Amino acid sequence: MNIGLSPAAWKRADADLTIVGRSVKRTDTLEKVTGQARYAGDLALPGMLHGKIKRSTIAHALIKRIDASKALALKGVKAVLTHENVPRVLHYGSPHPRSASVTKDQYILDRKVRYWGEGVAAVAAISEEIAEEALALIEVEYEPLPAVFTLEEAMAEGAPQIHDNGLSGNNVLPTVVVTRGDVEKGFAEADLILEGEYHLGRPTPAYMEPNVCVCRWDGNGKLTVWSSTQTAFMVRGALSEVLGVPLNKVRVIVDHMGGGFGAKQDLFQHEFLCALLARNTARPVRMEFSRKETFLGGRSRHPGVVWLKQGFSKSGAITARQARLTLNSGAYGSHGPGVTNVGTAALTSLYRCENVDLVGRCVYTNSPIAGAFRGYGVVQTYYALDLQMDEAAERLGFDPAEFRLMNAVREGDIAPSNHPIVGHGLEDCIRRGMAETDWPRMRKRARQDGVKRRGWGVGCEMHGSSAYPGIKEQGNAVVKMNEDGTVTLLTGTAGLGTGAHTALSQIVAEEIGVPFESVSVVQGDTDVVPWDIGAFASHTTYMGGRAAQIAAAEVKRQVLDHVAPKLGARPEDCVIRDGIILAVGTNRSISLREAVAPAKGMPAAQLIGVGTYSPRKSYSFAAHFVEVEVDTETGEIAVTQVVPVHEIGRVIHPIAAQGQIEGGIQQGIGHTLSEDYQIDLKTGRSLNPSFVDYKMPLAMDMPPIRTIILETAPDPGGPYGAKGVGEDPIIAIGPAIANAVADAIGVRFRHYPITPEQVRAALRDKKSGAE
Amino acid sequence: MTRDLSITINGEEREFAVAEFRSLLDALRNEIGLTGTKKGCDVGDCGACTVILNGKPVNACLVLAVEADGGAVETIEGLQAAPDKPSPLQESFMVHGGAQCGFCTPGVIMMAKALLDDNPEPSEHDIRFALAGNICRCTGYTKIFDAVRAAADEMRKAPAP
Repeated sequence: MNIGLSPAAWKRADADLTIVGRSVKRTDTLEKVTGQARYAGDLALPGMLHGKIKRSTIAHALIKRIDASKALALKGVKAVLTHENVPRVLHYGSPHPRSASVTKDQYILDRKVRYWGEGVAAVAAISEEIAEEALALIEVEYEPLPAVFTLEEAMAEGAPQIHDNGLSGNNVLPTVVVTRGDVEKGFAEADLILEGEYHLGRPTPAYMEPNVCVCRWDGNGKLTVWSSTQTAFMVRGALSEVLGVPLNKVRVIVDHMGGGFGAKQDLFQHEFLCALLARNTARPVRMEFSRKETFLGGRSRHPGVVWLKQGFSKSGAITARQARLTLNSGAYGSHGPGVTNVGTAALTSLYRCENVDLVGRCVYTNSPIAGAFRGYGVVQTYYALDLQMDEAAERLGFDPAEFRLMNAVREGDIAPSNHPIVGHGLEDCIRRGMAETDWPRMRKRARQDGVKRRGWGVGCEMHGSSAYPGIKEQGNAVVKMNEDGTVTLLTGTAGLGTGAHTALSQIVAEEIGVPFESVSVVQGDTDVVPWDIGAFASHTTYMGGRAAQIAAAEVKRQVLDHVAPKLGARPEDCVIRDGIILAVGTNRSISLREAVAPAKGMPAAQLIGVGTYSPRKSYSFAAHFVEVEVDTETGEIAVTQVVPVHEIGRVIHPIAAQGQIEGGIQQGIGHTLSEDYQIDLKTGRSLNPSFVDYKMPLAMDMPPIRTIILETAPDPGGPYGAKGVGEDPIIAIGPAIANAVADAIGVRFRHYPITPEQVRAALRDKKSGAE
Repeated sequence: MTRDLSITINGEEREFAVAEFRSLLDALRNEIGLTGTKKGCDVGDCGACTVILNGKPVNACLVLAVEADGGAVETIEGLQAAPDKPSPLQESFMVHGGAQCGFCTPGVIMMAKALLDDNPEPSEHDIRFALAGNICRCTGYTKIFDAVRAAADEMRKAPAP
């Protein structure tokens, strides 16, 4: 049983991490690269029907008459739902029922239509083609109402009210107000005051897997739902509440899902419709959105406007910050209040300022629904903040990166969540980025004056892991050791594709002391795994990982209690390393497999640990350094290289963390330069609901990315000091690009996306202004 | 109207009846049960349904099943040499982090296979150009390029038997 290592060597090795921090082979990728991974839409059940949704062709109207008789008469049609035959229960479209920041403003199907493309009826038929045909046979007569699409229209005196839910007038959701210090005093002390309006476009997540679910009721009245969602337990809760079925009669299953980026925290009407169609027909029903429907019935980032005014002293300090954030929620509240809250509060930080006066508003319009999307309000407000910082640096004569360094938040500063920041992550990121890019020398380089001009810009961000204090979250895990020493982790966190389940397995393996391959994950079945709030807010590894670590530590304790006497040692004198238990200071050891196996005439001990963790919050930081090339003839902006520096505490899986960063940059480049989901401002009709017309950066467009990850400010609340990374990368890239454009051509744009037409127009204006 | 077809799918001859309007993508997923090939848009914009038809990569959503009659189709499920042995290309995607959510992955890998079948020593530009029609929304493509490049190197070192 002697494994040939001295006790001293064991002790030393035990202090080092062997699995955490390594890019082990992900637990989910073998299935993915071989086509075996099952997504909700891959399911086919015997007797399954196909559901389709009829969508409105008007943005604001009452349904005067809806007649499904011709559709029902079509051969192969099994059921039709309209507002006349579905339960009328007001519900939260975004299922955070315990959060104060959501609006209860949706029905499964309503008598009223609030945006172009809203579902007004649903059909189940024996084939998709027949279901499509039936949709066309449903007759809907609308009584049009005046519609409002812009913030100005919706907030105007006498504007039509989109909801009658007791909120104050002018379609404005409850306002967020954050104040610290005294802004009047701050502005009075300022040597320079900058003020600007920053306009925000409407990017959408454009996840690759269209929304889909399959519903089946069994003979005992139990509903099973296979769905592509980030929040299986929240979907279960919403279905239970709206359909009037207890939670133990609703089971939500999510195996693999093809991206969500935040948006798939909502319900999209189809979960309810599919469940009701399945109940009415007593057959399983599958309902899958077309790509067009993922635009029409999906969720975008909130468009809107940030008005920002800041005072600066000659020495480079920020003396006051005043902001008014106004976001367009679209037809329903969804995450609007939460996004407004987080985006507004974020302006208290990033760059130090003692005097702040911030107000955030979110406004109903008859536009497509905005929802949760990676960067959740912070993308919007930090874009404004970091563009204005760049302008201030120029006006005050500071280097833009140095200027950020001077003002960067640091250890002990009060974070937007109202607790002190741990470490100096932001400063570390800025310094490292400056060193990597040889920033001072590069800033001094000769400027080009040809057709194509290059420029460099920097943008920074910080983002919280977990939604605290807006939502009191909880992650749970169960860890079991099997009688051969292998380990099973049950987690409620969803697998969006980030590699989080791999990270959780690494944490469990590290904590117990078994090889990574000894841990397997059970996930995505609300009947089996412990409750979890869902995968969002960059908290899966931070919160779910810590819960898994706690559960694993409990199993380890049980193992050592069980085994130590056999080694003639106290549990606290034993260590587990690579599946071997050793009594330190002796040469007595035993393999886990042997130690926990059933003995003759004796069953194996049940070794099981439960971990529950309610996190506070940690902040991750980043500084992105970007080079662009602007073609002054075509107006095209090309991002030519990106050096993202992220401080995220302990890195559990380096390649997965880099993947998050690089993917976030891709989406952020899109937001800043090309992605904008547009509607016709007369009718509300969607103008570009396809991958051809909604333009994203693809293989030919992506610049080289030199990702740098720092671990200089680990958080005591995360597993082994880990923090979140999912949302961070999409925030800093946008302002870095806009600031690089300013460096290249001397034009400061104050909006996104920045299109070639606008670049050309701005250069023309600049030229005529100069003449 | 249905038609009887015979298509060699991953080396196995399959005979089945299919509606004339049915796409090769729907036929593979619904008639044959090979759901590894994904439907991301159904209109040829995203590349998630890329398969190799008679040696050439195609968007299976843009090909009618009847057009493939008598032909040979390779899908992601046919890439492994043995059930427990991923191909070097698949292995490379695992090692280099080329798959995140995994929904675009089968199409990306099939397109990369078509590239490497044709051009075992692709330049950076060749790789990007080959994947120009495959939308990935998770990775920023960096790790996909890494995976294809490394697979090409690996396969040149140890050519398939």
